[in-house]
Amino acid sequence: VRSGARIVMEALVREGVDTIFGYPGGVVLPLYDEMLNWPQVKHVLVRHEQCAAHMADGYARVTNGVGVCLATSGPGATNLVTGIANAMMDSIPMVAITGNVNSWAIGKDAFQETDIQGITIPITKHNYLVTNVEDLPAALAEAFYLANTGRKGPVLVDIPKDVFIAKTDVEFPTTVSRRGYSIPGAPPAAQIEEVVKLIAESERPVIIAGQGVLASGSSELLKELAEKAHIPIINSLLGLGCFPRSHELSLGMMGMHGEAAATMAVQEADLVMGVGIRFDDRLTGDTKTFAPKAKIVHFDLDPSEVGKTVNPIAWVVGDLKEALTSLVPQVEPKRHEAWVSQVKDWQSKYPLHVPEGKFLSRTVLRALNDHTKGHAIVATDVGQHQMWTAQFYKIDAPYNWISSGGLGTMGFGFPSAIGAKFARPDEEVWAVVGDGGFQMTLQELQTAVEYGVNVKICLLNNGYLGMVRQWQELFYDNRYSHVAMGSPDYGKLADAYGVKFFRCSRTEDLEETLKQAREHNGPVLCEFVVEMEENVYPMVPAGTNNSNVIMDPDLPKTTAGAVK
Amino acid sequence: VNQHHTITALVQNEAGTINRLVSMFRRRGISLASFNAGDCEQVGYSRLTMVVDGDETLLHQTVKQLEKLIDVVEVDDLNDNHSVNRELALIRVDVGEDDRTPVYNVVNEFYAKTPRSTVRSLFIEYAGSTAEIERLLRALEPYGIGEIVRTGVVAMRTDG
Repeated sequence: VRSGARIVMEALVREGVDTIFGYPGGVVLPLYDEMLNWPQVKHVLVRHEQCAAHMADGYARVTNGVGVCLATSGPGATNLVTGIANAMMDSIPMVAITGNVNSWAIGKDAFQETDIQGITIPITKHNYLVTNVEDLPAALAEAFYLANTGRKGPVLVDIPKDVFIAKTDVEFPTTVSRRGYSIPGAPPAAQIEEVVKLIAESERPVIIAGQGVLASGSSELLKELAEKAHIPIINSLLGLGCFPRSHELSLGMMGMHGEAAATMAVQEADLVMGVGIRFDDRLTGDTKTFAPKAKIVHFDLDPSEVGKTVNPIAWVVGDLKEALTSLVPQVEPKRHEAWVSQVKDWQSKYPLHVPEGKFLSRTVLRALNDHTKGHAIVATDVGQHQMWTAQFYKIDAPYNWISSGGLGTMGFGFPSAIGAKFARPDEEVWAVVGDGGFQMTLQELQTAVEYGVNVKICLLNNGYLGMVRQWQELFYDNRYSHVAMGSPDYGKLADAYGVKFFRCSRTEDLEETLKQAREHNGPVLCEFVVEMEENVYPMVPAGTNNSNVIMDPDLPKTTAGAVK
Repeated sequence: VNQHHTITALVQNEAGTINRLVSMFRRRGISLASFNAGDCEQVGYSRLTMVVDGDETLLHQTVKQLEKLIDVVEVDDLNDNHSVNRELALIRVDVGEDDRTPVYNVVNEFYAKTPRSTVRSLFIEYAGSTAEIERLLRALEPYGIGEIVRTGVVAMRTDG
C-alpha cells in the first residue's frame, strides 16, 4: 500500500525518466514531499511553468523520448498551456502532470482551481482527471504509452491533492492496451508496391522529409532510399537533421523561407514524396499551385493527414520505419543524373546569400555554423533568426534541431535549449534567439545558473520584432506598427544573473567572441548587435504560389525568374 | 455536395469524453446537426449518433479525426439504405378540448401517441425518421404548434 504521490514517482522511475521540469505549489505539496525520497529523479526548478513545458519539449526532441513537466493547479497549470499546445502542434511526446484541488472541492471554484482537463482537451493527444487513487497507476502508465506511441503528442494527467495522499495497493498494469487505440504497424504491401512503381516511372523525383522520419527513427533508411534511387531530399522545418545537410542529395528546407532550389525542385518535380510531413501551409503555399507537375505520394502514420491539405494520388499509411524497410529493397537502383544536376544548378544559381561589409544576423549564423561545423544541438526561437538558422546552420545529425514549427511559440528557444542540455549534457548546445523572444523567457537564466547548465545563447539583437517588421515593410507599405523593441542592457542583465557575457557588433570580433563563448564552461549570453533592417529571403508570401519565389534583392539580377 | 451524414461511434466512458468529442467538432469547424449519446450493450461504453452537414471530404476528415480520439473505439459512417434512423419528437399543440378531432385524426394517421393532455394543449409523442417527423409537423402546423422538442437521430446499421 502506497500513496498517490509515491505512485507518481514510481511511474517516473518505471518509465526511465531521469529529469523532470517543474514548479511546486499548494496542491502538489504531497508530491514534492515524496520527491525528496527519490534522488534518482532529478527535478529542475524553473522560473515559469511555461518554460517547464518547453524544457520537457527540448528534452524530448533531442532524445526522441518523453519529456515530463509538472505544475500545481490553477495558474501553474494554465501556465503550461502554451508549452503543451506547442508540443501538440509538433507531435512531441510529453507527459504533463498537474495537481488539482481536493476532489470534493472540484467544481466549487476553490482557491487555485481551474478546469485544466477541459482547457487542454484540444491541445493534448489525451488527458486524464484522476479522482480515484486506484485509477492512478493505470492512468500514468497509459499517459506515457499514449504520449510516445503512434502519432506522438502531449498527454496531461490532472491529479487532485487528496489523490496524492490517498493510498492503494493497486499495481501498475504489466501491459497497456486500450480498445480503439492501436499503434500503426506495417502499411499494406500494395501501397508499397504502388510507390515502387511510381519511383521507377519517375524522372524528376524529390522527397520532402519531415519530423516523422525522426520520430520513427528512420533516418538511415531514408538515406538508403535517397542513394539507391538517386532522389534529392528536401526538408520541412522540423525535418532538419533527418538527412545530413552535408549530403550531396540534400537541398535543405523548402517553403515560405526555404532555399530557392528546394522550392523550385518541388514545383518542377514529376514525383513528390512527402515522408513524415503533413504538407502544412508554410510548406505548400497555395495548395492549388503546389507541385503542379507532380504525382504526390504521402507517407504518414496518421490517416487523418492524408488528403487533409493536398490530394495525393498514392499514400502509405502506417509506421514509417516499417514502410521504408519494406520499400528500400524493392526499389530499383536508379540514377537521375539530368534531374539532380538541374537541381544542383539551381542551387548554385540561387544560393543563400550573405552580403559582405555589413554585420548581419546571417553573418553571425554562418560563422556559428562554420565554428561548430554543424555538429552542435541548436534550439531556435521564432521569427527571422529561426528561418536564417534553418537556412545557414547545416544540421548534420538527427535529433540536434529544436524549433517551434507548428505553433511558432516565441520564448521557446532558450528554455528548450536548457531542456536539451539536461538530456545530452556532453554536447554543445546553442540557443539562437532574437531580442523579442528572449525577453519572453529570459528569467530562465537563473535556472541555467543554478544548475550550471552550459548552454550558449546566440542573441541576435536587431531592435525589432524582425519578422513582423519585414511583413509590415513588404505588405503594409513600411508602416511600422509596434515592432520597434527596446532591450535592457544585456551586459548588466547577464551580470545580475551571474552569466558570462559577450557583446559583439562587428564582423572583426565575431571569431573571437564565438571562440571564447565556446570555451567557457557554463551559461554564456552572446549579444550580437546586428543590422536593424534585414529581410529573410527567399520568400513566398503566405498562401501564394510557390513558383513565385521572391529572391534576395541583393543577389545579382541576372538570375531572376528562372522557374517559369 | 453538402448533405447530412449520419455517423455512429462507440466510445469509452471517461471524465471528459463527450467534451472531447464535441470539442473536436468545434475546433475543426465541423457543424453538428445533432449529437446523441446513451448507454449501450457494453458496460462502461456509450454509443453515439452524430449528424454532420458537409461534403464527402469533410465527412472523411470527420471520421478520421474521430477515430484518432483515444476514447473512441470505433466509428461507422452510415448510409440510409443500410441503417435504421429514428428520432423522437414531443410536440405540444395548443388546441382546446372541443377542437381536437382533426388533430387526433393526424395523430392516428401517423400512429403517434398522446401521452398527456391539458385543457389548453395536447401533447404528442412520435418516433420516426427525420422525414416522417417533418411530415407530421407540417400536418400539425395548421392547429397551432406551441413547442417542439426533438432528440436528434439515433441510428443503427442493418447490414451486419
